[in-house]
Amino acid sequence: MPRTYSGIRESRPNTFNDLGGQAAQLADDFEQNCIKNADRTFSQGLQCQQINSISAVISLEESVFIIHSPQGCSGCVSMGADGYRVGQAHRGVHFIKSPRVIITNLDQNDIIMGGEAKLREAIALAEERYSPKMIFIFTSCASGIIGDDVDAITATVQPEVKSRLVPIHCDGFKSKICASGFDAAFIAIQKYLLPQEPQPREKGLVNLFAPTSISYKDQLEIERMLGLLGAKVNYIPFYSSFEKIQKITSAEASTSICKVFADEFMKELDETYGIPFAHTVMPIGVRNTDKWFLGIAELIGKGDLAREYIQKEHDRVLPQLEGIKKRLAGKRVFICGGTGRSFAAAALIDDFGMELVGLETPTYDIDAQIDIEYLNGIHKNYVVDVANMQPFEQVNLVNKLKPDLFIGVPSWSGRFGIPTTHVLDPKRATMGYDGILYLGNKIADQVENPGFNRKLAPYARLPYKKSWYEDDAFKFIKEV
Amino acid sequence: MSSVIESPRGTCVLGGINNVLSAVSRLCPIYHSGPGCCMQTSIGEAGQAGLRSPHFLSGVSTPCSNMLEREVVFGGEQKLRDEIDGALEIIDADAYFVLTGCTAGIIGDDIASITREYSDRGLPVYPITTPGFAGDSLLGFEVAFEAFLDFVVEKGLPRQGDLVNLIGVVPYHDPHWSGTLEELTRILRKLGLRVNTFFTENQGLAEVKSSGSAALNIIVSSHLLKKTAERYEAEHGVPHLRVPYLPIGASLTTNFVRAVGEKLGLSSELVESVIFDEESYVYHYYESIVGGLGWKRFAVVADGSAAVGVTRFLADDFGMTPVVTIISEPIFRTEDRERIEAGIRAVEYAKAPDIFFQPDHYEIRKKIKEYDGITLLIGSSLEQEVALELGIQCHVMVFPTSDRLVLNRTYAGYRGALTIIEDLFNNL
Repeated sequence: MPRTYSGIRESRPNTFNDLGGQAAQLADDFEQNCIKNADRTFSQGLQCQQINSISAVISLEESVFIIHSPQGCSGCVSMGADGYRVGQAHRGVHFIKSPRVIITNLDQNDIIMGGEAKLREAIALAEERYSPKMIFIFTSCASGIIGDDVDAITATVQPEVKSRLVPIHCDGFKSKICASGFDAAFIAIQKYLLPQEPQPREKGLVNLFAPTSISYKDQLEIERMLGLLGAKVNYIPFYSSFEKIQKITSAEASTSICKVFADEFMKELDETYGIPFAHTVMPIGVRNTDKWFLGIAELIGKGDLAREYIQKEHDRVLPQLEGIKKRLAGKRVFICGGTGRSFAAAALIDDFGMELVGLETPTYDIDAQIDIEYLNGIHKNYVVDVANMQPFEQVNLVNKLKPDLFIGVPSWSGRFGIPTTHVLDPKRATMGYDGILYLGNKIADQVENPGFNRKLAPYARLPYKKSWYEDDAFKFIKEV
Repeated sequence: MSSVIESPRGTCVLGGINNVLSAVSRLCPIYHSGPGCCMQTSIGEAGQAGLRSPHFLSGVSTPCSNMLEREVVFGGEQKLRDEIDGALEIIDADAYFVLTGCTAGIIGDDIASITREYSDRGLPVYPITTPGFAGDSLLGFEVAFEAFLDFVVEKGLPRQGDLVNLIGVVPYHDPHWSGTLEELTRILRKLGLRVNTFFTENQGLAEVKSSGSAALNIIVSSHLLKKTAERYEAEHGVPHLRVPYLPIGASLTTNFVRAVGEKLGLSSELVESVIFDEESYVYHYYESIVGGLGWKRFAVVADGSAAVGVTRFLADDFGMTPVVTIISEPIFRTEDRERIEAGIRAVEYAKAPDIFFQPDHYEIRKKIKEYDGITLLIGSSLEQEVALELGIQCHVMVFPTSDRLVLNRTYAGYRGALTIIEDLFNNL
């Protein structure tokens, strides 16, 4: 499978992006293969895969990033670049750098004549200005549709430059699942950067794949936990380097702290290089932290050690959860997030005795099914909206469900006056056992102090007609 | 013709159009584009312009046809119709504008015919057919005004002698756009004028519609909206006054006020009394900080309007020494470059700085490093890196501003001068 995997997540079997309903029903339908392919006839903007491809590699050292596109496709670079600058500050770097980004700036002429000349020029500039070890080249809708053969161009230019050229095929229109962009980046890393032949194993070396939004504090905690198992961590790809990428194939095992990040790549490493992997969950909340830690521990033969540690941490942390539970038990919650965090948050709120009433998550597939079945064992009656954001559906549901708390990007639901919070915190420690306490206290504090949202609500405006709030939230999801 | 560029300051045409549409109340952009364009343009523009998000529709809440491979191969016209139908059904907007992403532009979907199906039925749905790849967000800013002139601005309205349109400041791109428009509006009101900005105080379609009845278009920009100004004159008889700099501080703002007064034939007694009041206010504060800011040799990296405004302000009103001013947005017309250069060279007492037009971030950094003894760098968030390297003070004041939150702060006008002075104080 992975050998021929195109990098387009829609191509994986039983993957659904346009779906909504009661959780129990969805789980049944999925089980019985009754979910039909559908599409939204009305939708709001998505995140394209190019955004994810760029953000996956933007913090790599000694690199230049060439975006082969019109100027607009560099818009979200600022997100990754800011994260990179903040990340450097957290890591104690004084001379904080910005990523080197060159855009080919395709215009009307290039759309007609092709963008090859500009791409060659950009590569030459990158080499001349920075002599980087790696030059990443991102394709775009425009370069894809006009048919620029980026692989062929880079193959002819490669002998002329010292930098390793790494074309990443992330044309936005090829996928509506932005996580495809992670796959595109890893496919390119494998093809152009990894040693093609198996490398000698380095004892105790574990690849730890982590997405953009992981704070330095979380990185340290996860590395510390893996250290308890005697593992040495190769943290990929953030704040990483050509050398660390080369090391990937010397590892004894791989794991990830996000369910969708690098899952295909870890499969590929297993099949091609014989590096086994633990594909579990994001270590947020007691259940998920246990599951994640045990997953990698069993894989490297340290299950007993892990169980011992988990017991110790339970003894330490669980009693402290009681105080938080008193503040949060029974509160009704609506959660919206990316695949990894939405399910992690749903599992987390169980630690505090909260009730799930709604869950918005981008994709429903076999991994989601496993989590949904677990959640169905705890929460009896909640709605699932399989959507990459789509705030119009979110506000419709939140307005009807009137939860006590919304977890996720608060821009819209916050305007109803309900308290909002987020488990995504790229600047603090949210993972592992201490993370549970941090998040629990954060959630409790925000539930108890809804002042900002309450006072804003009478003045806040949302763009939807009144009639929309009466309508079926899923009415635009139509079978195709 | 666009060139290969490192760290461009702005996005594409769609970004500029969206900036305008999201600053006018209750307008709904509908992107007929690939799936990332809403986010790329809103994060790339508003997200780097002081971090405010437009409250109505922005980023992932913007209606978008999210064109995929199927639409690229078979055409996306039906998908667009469905999208417009949905937007009309649930979004409570006063008008709907369809934007043309690269995808739709390259495959050639006939957007104008589709929107006509709606406008023929009396529905306010309009096409903007300039595709994303046609240029940068500043072009998009101008394209949006063209669309207003094509579809919204009403003809044949009676002239309103006390109404002016205050345009040229790019919303959600200039980080201080709303504070700037508010401050300039405040000053113009003291002259007895009513002010259309389209973007502040919840102004909306009504102000755009009636803008053809204004007595004057005041264009606060070194070079933008040339064609818009010409069309307002030709189609609506509205003359224009170009204020080719951001009026920062007493001297430039007073020039601005006098120019407006002259153009509208306002009583010079009124004009001079407003100027006296406002200048007294500013200088009353200056009195209390004489010598407080120290002396600086400064460099500026900014768009045309701000480059002139801040160079002149620091040199003329604060006695600082201008060393080099780099205009960091691409400026294509010679007349525009000449106007900007002339604006900077008009410094009153100081020797004019060296002036360069250079949008490429690598070349900008290289240029700054060629100068010895700069102690203050005024620029964008991008300039912090070179300032850190050189160990000099850096003040982020223009786009992209991605690391500080800007609400109603402005450096423009009389009062903005006090804010910039507060911000520039550095005890180190």
